[in-house]
Amino acid sequence: MEVGYQFEPLHKEEITHSQLVRYAGASGDFNPIHTVVPFAESAGLGGVIAHGMLVKGFVGQAISQWFSTKDLVKFSTRFRAMTRPGEKITVQGSVVEETEERWICQAEAVNEAGEVKVKSSFEIKKR
Amino acid sequence: MSTGLQEKVGMKLDTYNFKIEKGKLKELALAIGDLREESLKGELVLPTFPTVVDFMGEETSTLEDLLGLNLQKVLHGEQEYEYLGEMKPGDDLTVTGVIENVYTKASMDFYIIKKEFVNQNGETVLISRSTIIERH
Repeated sequence: MEVGYQFEPLHKEEITHSQLVRYAGASGDFNPIHTVVPFAESAGLGGVIAHGMLVKGFVGQAISQWFSTKDLVKFSTRFRAMTRPGEKITVQGSVVEETEERWICQAEAVNEAGEVKVKSSFEIKKR
Repeated sequence: MSTGLQEKVGMKLDTYNFKIEKGKLKELALAIGDLREESLKGELVLPTFPTVVDFMGEETSTLEDLLGLNLQKVLHGEQEYEYLGEMKPGDDLTVTGVIENVYTKASMDFYIIKKEFVNQNGETVLISRSTIIERH
């Protein structure tokens, strides 16, 4: 591990409406903008949008493949763009800095066109 | 900023308990599409599992009700977790929350909600900060 190291990208399957329903149930976030098309349309969103936390969840899965979750000390995310059913997300990341005790890393979730959906920074305890 | 908003700073959320069950861990893994064996056995606490704890505390009163938010106008702006200790299946968490800050910017209201998760041994295992945005 060194500053500049690029992690192996995590390629997720296409997001489906059913996945959003399943995620709503699993997470307890039942805001209908994620699951009920007419509600999301009347909210001016042009259809349902994925839960931001689902996309952050993809990033979290990637981090847990790159490192042991026991070493994860901080994980911050900014939600940048809406994600919709039909999109395919890839999570990529790298080490950007190090301190004596930690690796400072960043990750982003992008769609096939390269649009950044979420941007995360996270810190890993050095072993 | 309207005085109505400012009054919400410091408002405390209802304290609640949440037991980490393997079934909930597995359900989240399946929803995310994480099909690793450890995840499907409900043995891995995924980094975003705290969101489940956040929402399950809203069974009786939702954040939207408390803050008077319109669900059609609400967006999640940012989410930060600080992991201070280990969370494992079987742990019994006590969750407290407070509205840490509220401000208006670019015709949107921003609410910063801080939650602390304390386990059955009295250790603070997680601090969560959510930025919830309500469009005007």
